[in-house]
Amino acid sequence: MLKKMIKCENLTKIYPLKNSRGYPALKNINVDVKRGEFVSICGPSGCGKSTLLNILGFLDIPTKGQYYFKGKNVSGFTDARRSLLRRREVGFVFQSFNLLPRLSALDNVKLPMLYNKTPNREAGEKAINLLRLFNLEKKARNSILELSGGERQRTAMARALANSPDLLLADEPTGNLDSVSSSEIMKELKKLNQKGMTIIMVTHDVNLASMTSRILEMKDGWLRE
Amino acid sequence: MSILNLIKTAFVEIRNNKMRSFLTFFSISIGVISIMYTLTLIYSMNYRTRKAIEISGPGRLNVELKNRWRAQQEGEEVVNDFLTLDDAKSVRRNFPELYMVAPIITKWVRLSDEMFEQFVWVMGVDLEWVKRGWIYKMKGRFINQYDIDNYARVCVLIEKGGWIKKPRWLKFWKWKDRFQEYVKHNDMLGKTIALGNSLYKVVGVLKEPPAEKNPKTFIGFGGWEPNIIVPITTAQRFLSGWSNSAGIEKIYIDTGSPRTIEKYKRMVKQTIKSRHGTKLLFDVKDYREVIKSQLADKQRDMITVLIIGIIAILAGGIGIMNVSLATIYSRIKEIGVRRAVGARQIDIMAQFMVEAMMLGFMGGIAGVIIGFLGIKYLALKGNMDMLMLRWWMSVIAVLAATLTGFAASLYPAKVAARLDPIEALRYE
Ligand SMILES: Nc1ncnc2c1ncn2[C@@H]1O[C@H](COP(=O)(O)OP(=O)(O)OP(=O)(O)O)[C@@H](O)[C@H]1O
Ligand SMILES: [Mg+2]
Repeated sequence: MLKKMIKCENLTKIYPLKNSRGYPALKNINVDVKRGEFVSICGPSGCGKSTLLNILGFLDIPTKGQYYFKGKNVSGFTDARRSLLRRREVGFVFQSFNLLPRLSALDNVKLPMLYNKTPNREAGEKAINLLRLFNLEKKARNSILELSGGERQRTAMARALANSPDLLLADEPTGNLDSVSSSEIMKELKKLNQKGMTIIMVTHDVNLASMTSRILEMKDGWLRE
Repeated sequence: MSILNLIKTAFVEIRNNKMRSFLTFFSISIGVISIMYTLTLIYSMNYRTRKAIEISGPGRLNVELKNRWRAQQEGEEVVNDFLTLDDAKSVRRNFPELYMVAPIITKWVRLSDEMFEQFVWVMGVDLEWVKRGWIYKMKGRFINQYDIDNYARVCVLIEKGGWIKKPRWLKFWKWKDRFQEYVKHNDMLGKTIALGNSLYKVVGVLKEPPAEKNPKTFIGFGGWEPNIIVPITTAQRFLSGWSNSAGIEKIYIDTGSPRTIEKYKRMVKQTIKSRHGTKLLFDVKDYREVIKSQLADKQRDMITVLIIGIIAILAGGIGIMNVSLATIYSRIKEIGVRRAVGARQIDIMAQFMVEAMMLGFMGGIAGVIIGFLGIKYLALKGNMDMLMLRWWMSVIAVLAATLTGFAASLYPAKVAARLDPIEALRYE
């Protein structure tokens, strides 16, 4: 089995701006992530953490540089192929959850599975199991609008795991939680990592970062170990 | 995402926007109703035309006098000739290959039999007449050549077939045909009756098939039907009314094939003209033209309804398009989320299009239900055309509505699918 899951070469992202040359959010980032690693990314607000995660999660494309995922150079992939990678290879927990407010928690968790052509029944069963894992089975039928911040965060976690991805990208997964729930989530992430899931997590919390196997620090678009 | 899930998603969205869904249904329904109405009318008119030609012959020409009053206005010379039996005979002689050359006379005559008295239409024919439109069951015999050669005072009655199952709307129809009642309730065969001033022997009774099975029922044009048939020579000599002894009213011709109509129209005209010069104003009419002009009014109605329908369905389509475009902006975030969890552009497109097609489909179904009931109601009220409603018209109408949804959503769906996922996610 290939040891390397992610390899980035000179990743650069420049956001186009109307009246200037554009804003460089990522500058020449070189990083490798091996299978089964639990990586945390720390850094001040606005340093480009979410931007990096978006590229690693096939949501965005780098302005310059190469991104190899499982040995394949995905920088030049078409939109359709990147969509397929999103649904099959990664689970994404967004900083702002990005759940569909009009659907129930259950339907939100089912969504990635339905796009992955999982039969409705099977998707429903799996979604319930995932919600149970995060103590949400009682709220499964509630719409997202009826859930608390923490409950939403956990729903987002459940959704990220829906298609059993190899890679989990989590953008501040404990940002809205008290310290007790935070450590619960951390325990869950640890367990997933022990089962072989590769995890990259953005966090401000130094304590949480210290629980991971590797810490990357970002500043002004630069990355260092 | 499976089609079932797409439909489910679309359903939720349609339910969440009740008012716009209702408005879209509304205009789509109107379109669908008018499509059904138009289709029924087209179908009916085609059916009638086909039946009319089937009955009157594929190569039918009518030789008729032009309107006398108009003729006097147009012509400077004296125009006072009539069509004559000899005209018919010479056409027959010149063109023996014609399938039918039937001279016709009709008279409005008093019939009396003991207590019964009534004015009826009497038609004088010769043997050629039986060659087209023979739908009867005969009791007794028909007029024969001997009758014609000898001015025999014999007649054949035509009895209506009634209905196997009388339609509802006819039950409110109080008017009764006294002649038909009389024929129905008396054994006419062999009886002697008076037509005008002379006595006639009833040698035969022709019974029409029941109205449901009678092709003439649905033709619905061609005017009256005669009640009694007599030899044409007898009609000329003994029945009162206008005409000199040689005059007849018209000649029915069947060339046997639609392809020869034009040719014989010209040649028959020439033959008759050469016998009368400018003293006779007459016309040889292609029967298909006659049918067409009789249907022209309906055609105008139909086109009006069709245009209203097209406008309604277009309005529905534009409504769908407009609303779809507008909802994209309220759903940008949703689109971003769906893209983030793995929806391709085509999945987003499918979602929007399925939703619009569902709107069209449901509006179509609503329209079909209303249209069906409406058309049935009109049929109940006695609109013969509306009896021609067929189930496949509903299918076509619903298909058209669904297609409208499809076409109207193509552009909005494309716009939605092209959104950049990152930008969509950032949108508040
Ligand atoms: N679409 C965009 N257009 C222009 N500039 C952008 C865009 N997205 C992000 N940026 C800029 O890029 C920089 C990095 O943004 P990013 O969201 O990656 O920060 P972050 O490290 O995740 O911050 P936080 O910890 O607050 O979430 C910011 O300065 C932001 O203003
Ligand atoms: Mg961020």
